[in-house]
Formats: sequence, C-alpha cells, structure tokens
Amino acid sequence: MRQIAAAVAALVLLSLSALAFGRSPIELLQILVSGSIGSQFALEGTLLKSVPLLLTGLSVAVAFRAGVWNIGGEGQFIVGAIAAIMAARFGVIAALAASMLAGALWASIATSMRLWRNAPEVLTTILLNFIAIHLLGWCVNGPLQERGGQYPQTDAAAAALPQVGELHAGVLLAILASVATWFLLYRTMEGLRLRATGFNARAAKWAGIDVDRQLVRAMGISGALAGLAGGIELLGVTHRLFERFAAGYGYSGIAVALLAQLHPLATIASSIFFGALTTGAGELQRTAGISSNVATFGEAVVILILILFGSWRARD
Amino acid sequence: MLTLHAITKRFGDNVAVDDVTLEIRGGEILALVGENGAGKTTLMRIASGELAHDAGSIERGGAIGFVHQHFLLVSDFTIAENLALQRTWSFASLRKLEDQAEQIIAATGIELRGVSRRVEDLSVGEKSKLELIKAIAKKPRVLILDEPTSVLTPAESQELFAVMRRIASEGAAVVFISHKLPEVLEIAQRIVVMRGGRVVVDTKSMTAEELASAMVDAPVITSTTPMNNIRAIVGVAGNGQTELAERFRAEHPDAGLIPEDRTRDGIIAEMSIAENLALRTKIDAETLIGHYSIKARNAKQKAGSLSGGNQQKVILARELSRKPRMILAAEPTRGLDIEATAFVHEQLRAAASEGASILLITSDLDEAFALADSIQVIYRGALSEPMPPAVAREKVGALMAGLA
Amino acid sequence: MIDVILHALPIAIVASTPLLLAVEGEMVVQRAGIINLGIEGMMLTAAMTAVLAQHATESVLAGFAGGILGALLVAAIFGVFAIRYRADQIVTGTAINLLALGLTGFVYQAAGGALFAASAMSEAAQYVAVLLAWIAIPAALAVMLWMTRFGLRLRAAGENPEAVQHVHAYRWSALAIEALLAGAGGAFLALALSSGFAENMTAGRGFIALSIVIFGRWKVRGAIIGTALFGVAAGLQYTLQAMNIGLPFHLLLAVPYVVTLLILCGIAGRVRAPEALGR
Repeated sequence: MRQIAAAVAALVLLSLSALAFGRSPIELLQILVSGSIGSQFALEGTLLKSVPLLLTGLSVAVAFRAGVWNIGGEGQFIVGAIAAIMAARFGVIAALAASMLAGALWASIATSMRLWRNAPEVLTTILLNFIAIHLLGWCVNGPLQERGGQYPQTDAAAAALPQVGELHAGVLLAILASVATWFLLYRTMEGLRLRATGFNARAAKWAGIDVDRQLVRAMGISGALAGLAGGIELLGVTHRLFERFAAGYGYSGIAVALLAQLHPLATIASSIFFGALTTGAGELQRTAGISSNVATFGEAVVILILILFGSWRARD
Repeated sequence: MLTLHAITKRFGDNVAVDDVTLEIRGGEILALVGENGAGKTTLMRIASGELAHDAGSIERGGAIGFVHQHFLLVSDFTIAENLALQRTWSFASLRKLEDQAEQIIAATGIELRGVSRRVEDLSVGEKSKLELIKAIAKKPRVLILDEPTSVLTPAESQELFAVMRRIASEGAAVVFISHKLPEVLEIAQRIVVMRGGRVVVDTKSMTAEELASAMVDAPVITSTTPMNNIRAIVGVAGNGQTELAERFRAEHPDAGLIPEDRTRDGIIAEMSIAENLALRTKIDAETLIGHYSIKARNAKQKAGSLSGGNQQKVILARELSRKPRMILAAEPTRGLDIEATAFVHEQLRAAASEGASILLITSDLDEAFALADSIQVIYRGALSEPMPPAVAREKVGALMAGLA
Repeated sequence: MIDVILHALPIAIVASTPLLLAVEGEMVVQRAGIINLGIEGMMLTAAMTAVLAQHATESVLAGFAGGILGALLVAAIFGVFAIRYRADQIVTGTAINLLALGLTGFVYQAAGGALFAASAMSEAAQYVAVLLAWIAIPAALAVMLWMTRFGLRLRAAGENPEAVQHVHAYRWSALAIEALLAGAGGAFLALALSSGFAENMTAGRGFIALSIVIFGRWKVRGAIIGTALFGVAAGLQYTLQAMNIGLPFHLLLAVPYVVTLLILCGIAGRVRAPEALGR
C-alpha cells in the first residue's frame, strides 16, 4: 500500500541524509531500529510514546475529516495537562475528564472566532498554541510551581494512572478512544454528518445539516482528544508539569493522522510507527550524538511523500 | 479551414469521441448538435487544441477562437483589464489600457460600452459579449461557440446571430454548439448531429422532427397537462435564482431541496449512495434504488461515479421519499437526457398530486410551461407578478429581457 | 498615553521590520492565489543560513544573501508541491514548517557555537534596512502590483487562474519575491535583532504575518498600518514590564499572540480575499 511505501521511503531518505553530516546511513538505521524495538526497554519506550501520538492523531483525524483545520493540538494538549494536574486531587477520573473538557474549551475559542468573526481557524489554533505555551510557563514558574520553588516545574500530581510494569493504563484508554472514534464516525448519524460536512460542506447544507454547529461539535471532540492526550501523558508518564511539556506531540499528531489517512483504527499503527521513530531518535542522540530533531524532520518527510502520492486524504 | 480526421478520445473507460471525421469549411455556419454527453464540446476542445486527442489527425487553416460556456473572466477586474490579459507578456504600464480596449472592441464590430466597468457589475449578456470579443479579437479563421445562448435573452440571441452571420460572410467558419433545436434550425447552414461520440447526421437541411429523432434513441415524450401546486420561476441564468434558492432553503429547512448544481451541491461524491441517502431519509437504500430505478452496482457504490441522471435520482429519492410538504427544485433537469428528464417531471408531478407545493426554478421555458400552473419571471433579483401559462406565453420574452 | 505610544513607535518599527517583510512577501503570494503557511519555516531557515553565511564571510551583505538563499531553497520545495503538483497548500505549508524546524534544530545542535554571532549589523545598516522595508519596498510592490501588466496578471492568477495563460510562471514569481523578502526578514532578525540563531527564534512571526495580511486586506498600506499597530501593541509587553505593572513575565510573553488574535477578530463582516486563494 502507498502508506507503507511512504513510511519506508521516509526512513530511507532519513538515513541517506546522514551522509550530509558525515555519518553512515546504515549505522543510523540500525540505531533507529534497535533503539525503538530492539529490546524490551525500547519497546516499552515506543509504546509509551505512541499513546499521546495516537490521541493527538485521532484529534487531527476527526477535525480534518470534518473540514476544520485544527493545528492547535499542541495547545490543547498543554491545557489538558494543566487541567488534569489541577483536578488530580479529586481522583484520576476527574482529572481525565477535566483534561478533555479543557481541550475542548481551548479549541472552542478558535471555533467561536471563526463563527463570529470569520477568523480562519488554521491561524487561530496555531496562535493559541503559542499562548498555551506561555500559559504553561507562567503556571510552572508561578502559581503551580513546586513547593521548593527551585525548578520551573510542578509537584507530582495528586493522582496517577494505574501501572502494569513500565506501561500505564493510558495505553488501554488510547486504544479505547480509537475504537470509540471509529464507532462515532462510521456507526452514528453524528459521524455521518461530520464526514459529509468534511467532504462537501455545500452539499451538506443542502442535505439539511447545520454546518456551523457541526463544526463546533467536531472541534470540540478534536480538542477533547488532544486534551486527553495531555492528561494521560501527565498522569501516566511525567507526573508533573514543566516547560516544554508538549514537545511537539500536537504537531506530530498531524503526521500520524495523515499517514493513517485519517482513519481512526489505522491511527493505531501509524502512532506506533512515529512512536518508534521518536524513541529511536532519542537513542540516536544518546549514542551517536545526532540531534533527535531527526524525528521532526522524518515526520515532515513522511507528510511530503504522502502529498506526492496523493494519499493523505480520507478515502473510506 | 479545419479538418478533423478519425479523431478518438477516451476518458478512462468512457469513449467520449469515437472515430470522428469532420471537415469544416470557411464561410459556413455549422451547428453541432446533440444531447449532453454526445461529445460535442469534447470534439471542439480537441479541434481548438485545448484537449489532446488519442488517435487521428487535425489540420488547421489558421487561428481558432473559442467562446466557452463558462466565462473565463476575472470578476474583480474591469473590461479593459480583462482584455489586457490576452496580450503578450510585458511590463508596460496600464495607462493606455482603456484606449486599447476600446480599439479592440471597435474592431470586432460588437457593441460594448463602458470599458472601465468591473466585470462583476455587468449583466450576464454583457459578460457573454466580452467573452465573444476576446475570441474574435484574435481574428480567428474558425470561431467555435459552446452553448452561447444558454444565458441570453431572445433579443440578445438575435444580436449574436447577426455577428455570427457577419463573421461567416467575411470568410471564417463558425461552429455553433447547441442543444436548442429552434435556434439551430434558424441560424445553421449545415447541421452535424452527434450521438454517443459519433457523427450520425451531416446535412444541409432538416425538419425539426427529423432533427429531434436523430438526437435520441427513444421517442420524445412530452406531456402538456400542468398539475396543481407547481409554481415556476423562469429567467436567464444569473438573475438571482441562486440567491432565491438559498433564501428558500433558509426559510424552509425541512423542505425537499433539489439544488441546481447537483455535482457540487447535491450529492457527496466521496460517499456511497447509501450514505448520501441516509443523510436525510430513514428508508433503506436498496428499497429506494429499486423504487427510483437508480442504475448502480449496489448501494455501496460511490455517488460520484454515477451518471448525471442517476445522481439526480439519488437526490430525488433522498428528498421526495420523505414526502415533504414543500419542495424546491432548481434546474432539476439541467444536463439530463430526455429519458431522465421525463422521469424527473413524472416524480415532481406525482409529489404535487399528493399535495406537496413545489417551487420550480428553471431557465428552460418548455419545462416551466409543461409543469407549472403559475409562472413568474425573475430579472436582476426581482420577481414579476405570477401569471397563468397562457398569459405568460406572450409576456415572458419581454420580461426576461427586462422590458415591460 | 499618546506620549507612551509615540515613544514606543520607533522601537516598534525597528523590532517589527522582519515581520513587515514577511507580511509584504506573503501578501504578494496570496495575491497570486497561494496560501503559504510555510513562511514561518522560510524565515527560520533564512535566519540560520544568514548567520552561517555571515559567520563564514564576516560580511553582513553575505549574511543577507545567505538568508535569501535559504528562503529560496524552502520556497522551491514548497513550490514544487503547491504549484507544480497542485497539492493542498495548508498541509504542504505545515509540512514545510516541520521540515524547517527539524532541519534548523538539527544544524543548531551540530554547529554548536558557530551560530552565536556577535552583533553584526551597524546602526547605519539597520536604518537602511528599516527604510527599505517600510518605504522603498512597499512603494515598489504597489507600483508592480497595480501599475504594471505583470502585476495585473499576477493578481488575475489569484482571482481566476483559468483566465490567465502561464499561471504557474506568475505564481513562481510571486513565491520568489516572497522568498526574497522573507529571507531578508529572517536575516535581519538574526543579524540585527538578536545575537545569532536560537532554536525556534521566529516564534510564530510567520503566522502573525499571515494574520496581518488578512487584516490589511491584501493591500500594501494595510500591511504597513497593520504591522505598525501590531508592533506598538506587542511592544506594550516591554513597556508594561518596565513599569512593573501587575502581569507576570510569562503572560506578557503571550501578549503578541493575544494581540494577533484580536487583530483577526477585527475582521468584522466579509473580508474579500483573492477569489482563487488556495485553489
């Protein structure tokens, strides 16, 4: 399938780019593979990285399918985590719910601006990302800073996701979210309307769909998924907030969604691929001193190849 | 002037033009006639060089001018600026633009004043003149016009015919693509009929009946008994019909809605027939496919791969099966062949007889008179008084042109 | 109050010169019908290549040239996808930004100290650049777009591309002009306003530029006024800081983006974008 070809081609190009920096492509590829799936430790790392990617990928998939350009996954991820840590004292479930609500609300800022002021959400969601980053900076340096006041980070959250070895329950939650999204899109009227609006908003209007309301709901779901990603990352992995908490998960979600051709179930495989790439890139940095930015670079290459093959759009 | 030899063109599995040989001579007005999908536009686009042919050869005796059905104009620019787009690449200033534009227009012999007006402020007839001027300014040896009268009033059509006759008398060849039989019989000196991608008739004189039956396989069905509750709004395209339809939709969201552009606004091409239907009706797809005789492999087939007629049937099925009390039908038979048109009319009549009140917006006068019991004319966004068909018949030409 | 604003204006103008150049470039490109989200990545890359070039040659002019070359490279990639292959412009632009982010981050870590440039541009040179960006270039662009046949066709490419022959040529030209301007903007940012390259130093200027283009209604005077307004409003963060007003440091950093959101909200009613934008 074209998707697999795109992923493989990207890896090849990535390895070849090692030549530009005087390294062996084979060596680079070897480290990437062993660092991501070559040991139990690596596999666990990959799986852990895949969870937030799966959720931000779902977030983008739902939005793009509805025809909304939600590039704000990064910001929704952050506010989701902030809400989660604040609500953690009421338990894990409350914290997760709070993260979803926060993500949805943050996304709704962009939706409102689009509905009331015609402001293009492709820009407003990106601007909200920057605002969220600084909001986080304020939180960890100010009101939410740890008791010692030494580092720009919070205390450990009052609740945490149950763990099984190195993995946390968020893995299950993410897969559940993936199935739930699939069910929503393909087995409910809401999903049918959402997809119709994304394919052809004009025809959707003529078919009696209130396109504006549909977009609001789609963005809400999208934001909630990204917010949940942040909440799970906090409650399952980092347990505390700090600057640079988001580390590009929101933007990577775009690559995840496109490789999966916006299909909620395919997002599982896609997120594992990029999770592996990110984990492998981390190993590259540790052992070979090659910046882990290769992962970001790799994501971009995948997207560009998908564009070239014309295989990133939803095609049921 | 222009010789096409054994031209064939395929789009995927569809053979749009099938081994056509045609010689077009200078000084003649040739009408290229046929139903939608017969291959007329495709053949002429190949002739003008816009489209590449798969087989055959072409000999051209000079420049070819093409007046397209859909305007290639920049609405935000003025007439003069649009004409300036035609010339060669240069950095020259725009000061002399309007003088140059007036010169170009004068040389074509067509009347179009006010070259500093913006295209979006022009009437549809004037836009059509501008397209014509663009094509003639090149002094073509062959002038091809694709359905030029579809947006003109009867008076404007006569003006166009005068220009066509003049150009032919100067030695150029004029090809007039149309599916409007009365006009063809009025202006053409030679008639070529296409059907299914082939030339089936090439003659200098025909009667109307001969022409009609050459165009189709099935006999022509016309019914002339108007039913109750059908109100028709007629007018030349571009006089506010779209806005009227959208207002209706906003006021009656539960009505049955048949939009005028079925591929863009009607069906969702990427979704299956079943999904398109499910958007508005709870009746299952298989039943509707059978009931409305939709030609498809199965309900899972993507709606975009259906023919125009079948797409319209999907829309009808979706909207009419809900038995709505009000129905909006905008250009419901545009681009459909005779069989499909008859089917649509039948469905609309059936709905009306069951008590629905129908608003029919159409630029096809025959359709309006066949179906409606009350007719209004729309011109520049304003509606005339409703008239019974008998009265309308006399006045409609004048009303459509903005007189009376 | 007026006093404060007038005082802040000169600083705001210099500080938002890179932004203005980006606005001017994006305006040209959008007039030709293309939305280039990747302008952010273009500027970021230009900032990096400008510093590398300046470091290697000790010449500011070479630095600017290097910046422009970097921007042209990014523009070429974007153009291949968006113009030649008619790919979706928003997805392409997003990919370009990721590409530039990854690439510059990579080079930054690899280059270590080489990207810390001591202040490179003299004050005189800065003034020249500011004058060019705020007066000469806008005037030239206005003449080109509205008083030449080339400009007419370029704008037609953004309104109804089907009516223009050789549409691609005009779009590529527009993209090249944008690369020139955005490249200069990135170079100015790195060489005049900062001491070299830092990861993600453009900090969203590209997206802010996109917003100002809309606010300015795709016109030259709108670009200037919009950028000046933004510059003053965003500069408020420093004024407020200096005056020790309530808002904490990190929230002040968010001010430019909030201002941009407000700018986007200021598009009351229908704004008439070039008809074929994105097509």
